[in-house]
Amino acid sequence: MKKIVSLILALVMIFALAACGQSAAPTTTEAPAPAEEPASEAQTAETEPEQPEEPEVDALLVDTCILMEADDAMINNYSLLAVNPEAPFVDADGKPVDDVELNTVGAAALINWLLSEEGQELAANFGYEEYGEYLFYLKDGRPVSTAEIPEATEETRLIRLSTTTSVNDSGLLGYLLPIFEEKYGYEVEVYSAGTGKSIGNAKMGNADLILVHSKSQEEAFVADGFAYVLDGMPGERLTWMYNYFVLCGPSADPAGVKEAPDVKAAFAAIADGKYSFISRGDGSGTHTKELSLWPEELGISAEPESFKDYADWYISANAGMGACLVMAEEMGAYILTDKATFLTFVANDGKIG
Amino acid sequence: MGSSIRKAIELILSADPELLNILATTAKVCLTSSVIALILGVPLGILYGAGRFPGRRVLLVLNRTLMGMPPVVCGLLFYLLFSGVGPFRHLHLLFTVPLMILAQVVLITPIVVGTMETFVADTAPALRETAKGLGFGPGKQFRLLVNECVYPIFSAYLLSFARAIAEVGAVAMVGGAIAWKTNVMTTAIMTYTNRGSFTLGIALGLILLSLSLLVNVVLSLLQRRFSQ
Amino acid sequence: MKTAAFTKSYHRRLALSLPELELPKGQITAVLGPNGSGKSTFAKVLSGIEAADDKQPILTGVTVGYLPQKSFPFRMSTEKNILQNGKDPQRAAALMHALGIEGLAGQSAKRLSGGETARMALCRILMRPYDLLILDEPTAAMDMESTLAAEKLILESCREQGCALLLITHSISQAKRIADRALVLHSGGLVEQGPGEQVLYAPREEQTRRFLEFYGL
Repeated sequence: MKKIVSLILALVMIFALAACGQSAAPTTTEAPAPAEEPASEAQTAETEPEQPEEPEVDALLVDTCILMEADDAMINNYSLLAVNPEAPFVDADGKPVDDVELNTVGAAALINWLLSEEGQELAANFGYEEYGEYLFYLKDGRPVSTAEIPEATEETRLIRLSTTTSVNDSGLLGYLLPIFEEKYGYEVEVYSAGTGKSIGNAKMGNADLILVHSKSQEEAFVADGFAYVLDGMPGERLTWMYNYFVLCGPSADPAGVKEAPDVKAAFAAIADGKYSFISRGDGSGTHTKELSLWPEELGISAEPESFKDYADWYISANAGMGACLVMAEEMGAYILTDKATFLTFVANDGKIG
Repeated sequence: MGSSIRKAIELILSADPELLNILATTAKVCLTSSVIALILGVPLGILYGAGRFPGRRVLLVLNRTLMGMPPVVCGLLFYLLFSGVGPFRHLHLLFTVPLMILAQVVLITPIVVGTMETFVADTAPALRETAKGLGFGPGKQFRLLVNECVYPIFSAYLLSFARAIAEVGAVAMVGGAIAWKTNVMTTAIMTYTNRGSFTLGIALGLILLSLSLLVNVVLSLLQRRFSQ
Repeated sequence: MKTAAFTKSYHRRLALSLPELELPKGQITAVLGPNGSGKSTFAKVLSGIEAADDKQPILTGVTVGYLPQKSFPFRMSTEKNILQNGKDPQRAAALMHALGIEGLAGQSAKRLSGGETARMALCRILMRPYDLLILDEPTAAMDMESTLAAEKLILESCREQGCALLLITHSISQAKRIADRALVLHSGGLVEQGPGEQVLYAPREEQTRRFLEFYGL
């Protein structure tokens, strides 16, 4: 048996060695993170976001383009919430559990850093080098931290961050966290899933902080007592960043979305003309936002029953953002997406990663 | 497909550190879990196949049921047990490689047991008749039986390794697909697919298949060598 | 050597019922009978592989060797298979030579043909002496040449070792060639027993006669 095991191990090592080959052609396995931080100043909310425009990248490969953005109804706020160690945790049977171990020191350190001058500046400039556009904007009246950030100790080194796939896919965390880890010696484990699963993961005591973008779900999280106020912070929900959802579609724009006065009118135009629309359909933050934008009389909700009469044009994909963008591109359909994911999608010739 | 193959080759040649990390984690999880499953499953399978004891049939039915356990259910079970609010929370094992291995061991040991049991139940009567006819004692009969098991041990190992390397439900639940830590090939493919990068997903799938092919070829050769 | 009387049933159906039998040492007793007459059951109960209905031993204080109809080749070379039943390589070589399988000594036993496996199995059981040796159709898979060599070897071993040898066979000519005594079974019962020249050439029972006519063609 020993022989076999060692042989298998040898095999894998050969494979790995082969993999460690010569060529060093750069490839992308992660959402691209810019190598150098841009030198420009922090972009804040006072700056007017760009007007709708065709992305400059290869339009031959990707026909889908941004048709409407920067509408107030499409603001996408990002919040940080520290998980409360005294929260009313319950186990799978509903019995209370009062000794859930959380790394509160680490969570506070990460939040304080993200809300510090340095962290905010980095976040605001993220993506400019790569796309020529800012992906995130700092919010007016955002909390700012000046708290001193302690070095990691053996007990506080590991920080568990639960977040949503769209946050993770934007590449922001992949860009910010290594800088934080390098500077203070922490190690941040990013658990990324749909908003519901991600918050559920925190409620099961498996995260020290969460970074999400769904106001209603954040408020429920706070109301249930799962978040708490950090020293020197104004509240449980620390909303410090935002960007816009964008309404995308085929460049020919058969529904005339570009001319619509606001996003609600744009959605109504799509529904009127029965133009194909791809819905995430997975209970994500993007999905929640999309549901709120349809004309109320259509009655579209998360229930499959509610859109069964629109099945000829309303496509509930139940898939990730990228997969839905691929579908929209293939079908020439309209779609609501966060801007960061869309820009990544276009920059990669119609795929993410 | 062609672009996926190109991409797969490109990925391997570029020695992308994240890919290497994913490969290493995959190898660590799948090899360890399949070897542990083998160590646990082979004696149990021989016992079930050759033994005559009360409750054997019940255990067999139970084992066959476990063979059909959906990986995601197994993962969910371990997630709940080792969660921050679960009974084993103080072990701090959620989202770690050891727990991924444990979940896979639970998932694939029944396959080893089942494979071994089928073979032994098939072989043992004829072997026992011959060995007993020669006047051999129980000890020698058992040694001869174990000696027959080399071929099916390879088969059982291949099956369990294949299941380990191919399953995504358990490792995704229990490991959380955390980059640089618990992300394996299958969870990475899932992630890329969700992002819409199907080409990259297929490329990783091709690498996974080639890895599986290599292991299979080597083990099949060994199997032929050792089983005569 | 005397065997006790016994009955053997499967699923409450009587398969075999035999009286006390005398098995003389150094002699070959052929057990004859059509299919389903209980020959193999007889061998299994006598060898102790299966227990009689009353769970009482049929034989006491004797060593029994039993070669099943389909003997199992262990996963090792032909020679090692044979040496499983005795440590004397010279005897193994002599036995293999007698049956013409010395050229297969190093080959994996799993790769032997049916006839070769049967010859290997016969060599294996003849490696050491037993008080009672039961051979169930040892030559069924062999060609004529091997059969004759095997019969010669069986006869020699029986005389040399002085064991009581039960040869279960469906071949009347084989019984005529090497059996000292014969025992005829039919439908789970003993029809006739006695010296070979009497049972095989001048049977007393009608059933034996019909059997000999039918199978002795």
